[in-house]
Amino acid sequence: MERSFVFVALFAALIAVLGLVPSFMLITGVPISAQSLGVMLAGAVLGARRGALAVLLLLLLVALGLPLLAGGRGGLGVFVGPTAGFLVGFPVAAFVTGWITERWRSMDLALVAGVAALVGGVLVLYAFGVAGMVLAAGLSPVQALTALSAFIPGDIIKAAIAGVVTRAIWQARPDAVLSRAH
Amino acid sequence: MLALTLEQRSWLHAVPAGAKMAAVALAVVLVVPVTDPAVIGAMVLGVAALYGSAGAMALRAGLRLLRPLVLMLAIIMAWHLLMGEARLGLVICLRILGLVALANLVTLTTRLDDMMAVLEWLMAPLTRLGLPTGRLALAVALAIRTIPALSLKADALREAWRARATRRPGPQLAFPLVLLALDDATHVAEALRARGGLAATETTKQKRN
Amino acid sequence: MAGTGGIQLDNISLSRAGRPVLAPTTLRLDEQRIGIVGRNGSGKSSLLRVIAGLQAPDQGRVSVAGTDMQGDRKTAIRRLGILFQNPDHQIIFPTVDEEIAFGIRQLGASRAEARTRARAVLEAHGRADWAERSTQALSQGQRHYLCLMAVLAMQPAVILLDEPFSGLDIPTTLHLHRALDALDQQVVLVSHDPAQIARFDRVIWLEGGRIEADGPADAVLPEFSQRMQALGAQTPCWP
Repeated sequence: MERSFVFVALFAALIAVLGLVPSFMLITGVPISAQSLGVMLAGAVLGARRGALAVLLLLLLVALGLPLLAGGRGGLGVFVGPTAGFLVGFPVAAFVTGWITERWRSMDLALVAGVAALVGGVLVLYAFGVAGMVLAAGLSPVQALTALSAFIPGDIIKAAIAGVVTRAIWQARPDAVLSRAH
Repeated sequence: MLALTLEQRSWLHAVPAGAKMAAVALAVVLVVPVTDPAVIGAMVLGVAALYGSAGAMALRAGLRLLRPLVLMLAIIMAWHLLMGEARLGLVICLRILGLVALANLVTLTTRLDDMMAVLEWLMAPLTRLGLPTGRLALAVALAIRTIPALSLKADALREAWRARATRRPGPQLAFPLVLLALDDATHVAEALRARGGLAATETTKQKRN
Repeated sequence: MAGTGGIQLDNISLSRAGRPVLAPTTLRLDEQRIGIVGRNGSGKSSLLRVIAGLQAPDQGRVSVAGTDMQGDRKTAIRRLGILFQNPDHQIIFPTVDEEIAFGIRQLGASRAEARTRARAVLEAHGRADWAERSTQALSQGQRHYLCLMAVLAMQPAVILLDEPFSGLDIPTTLHLHRALDALDQQVVLVSHDPAQIARFDRVIWLEGGRIEADGPADAVLPEFSQRMQALGAQTPCWP
């Protein structure tokens, strides 16, 4: 019990660090942070419930005033801004990613976790993100999606990376991948 | 790791955290139905005046926190201009600007432990119901403690990358970083178990209160 | 390419958060085996990172075999390899051959070529069976050795090592010593332990970011050991 509790806390830290550290560039010149990769991995590695808890813990730290979102953003302001939908979607994205990874066991884990991250970390996350922009910014869903389109290729790549990384972790530390542990 | 709280104290630091957060919630409820740009503009000016009363440091920090918002607001305004709804666009952009700035002001003028106190106050009913809320404080402390250590490790890995490569570090770093975090977690869990485990966090909590 | 090192530091200095870490230093390092000793926080690791081009000095210039370590990273990674203290902070990839192939690819090799050469490196070290193994399933000593092979695979002229023996048991330490002795490369090794560099051509003793002594090992190390013992006898001795 202590172990899964600490896993949740340390994954919250990990998502924060991934947001602060390595941002990589696509050919399009859009900077992409690895933070949503952290959200996908939280679900794929920790499973639905614990993955979502790790993300919720991160959001709590952000609300408490720590600058832990990608690009050093943080504080209460981000929860009333136009991209707040993504923050609401983060824990759901981790949950869905974890839910699929836990249940679909018949295939290679890289494929399973990759598809799970694509559904949870891209499809579900963008549904929340777009809804948030529609509500906060008065845009139509199509307009919101257009405004966000530059980020979508990067997120699809991140889902693929999440799949490969999840399998590599499973091979290195099988009992740490809680989504597959029982 | 540093919280966003300003070190230079202002009168806003002295206002109870719960009251400040309630004020932000109230502002959201009041401002959302408003459709007159003049009224919302006045609110934005009011928020700016609040920043001013908290000092030049607050103003500067507030503007820095708003910087990531600029591009987003420009896109929103551009869409509305394209649709021929300049007035609506203005209302929306001013509303977002005012609310985000106000919420940030609470963050800038409230210490982390005061925020924690509000959280504990909000959780109190759950604690009385017997839910293990002491665990949450421990999880927060654990995560905050881990972030600087983990980010030093991330720096070390980036350096190891740069020592052998000319390209910028890529997402491949996620793998060793996750492993380091998981191994750390296993050790911390052992240390926690060695000192009484999670059950102990709840009892010590009650003793302290 | 091995054997033609030559590290030149021209008036480099470094400070962190306003505090001086390295005082202005000019050095020419040509000896085959060079040790850097000093206490914790004396600037040993900082000096190593400046030489490797991982940390830009506040002023001055570092070149290895004529290559500017800051300006020309492409050539810099051919000239010099660095081994970090903790292999956990150095190993990036899940399998051994990926870890070794990474550096080779960075030198411009194709994926397939890098893979072939990585296998050749493993074979040359008698570790061909490691190729497919998980980097995380290796023991601590084996991971140290993997880091060394990954650096050697890039055939640098100079190899820097930061406290390579810390945390290693005696057999592993002896094995690593033998591996280092056999290298054609110029070696610069940072250690707080004089015993590890006793047979080196040259030893530089750093104290508070300055060079306290510089000369052959048997000229520098006896006084270093004596001073460290004396400091340890005082309380408190934390710097």
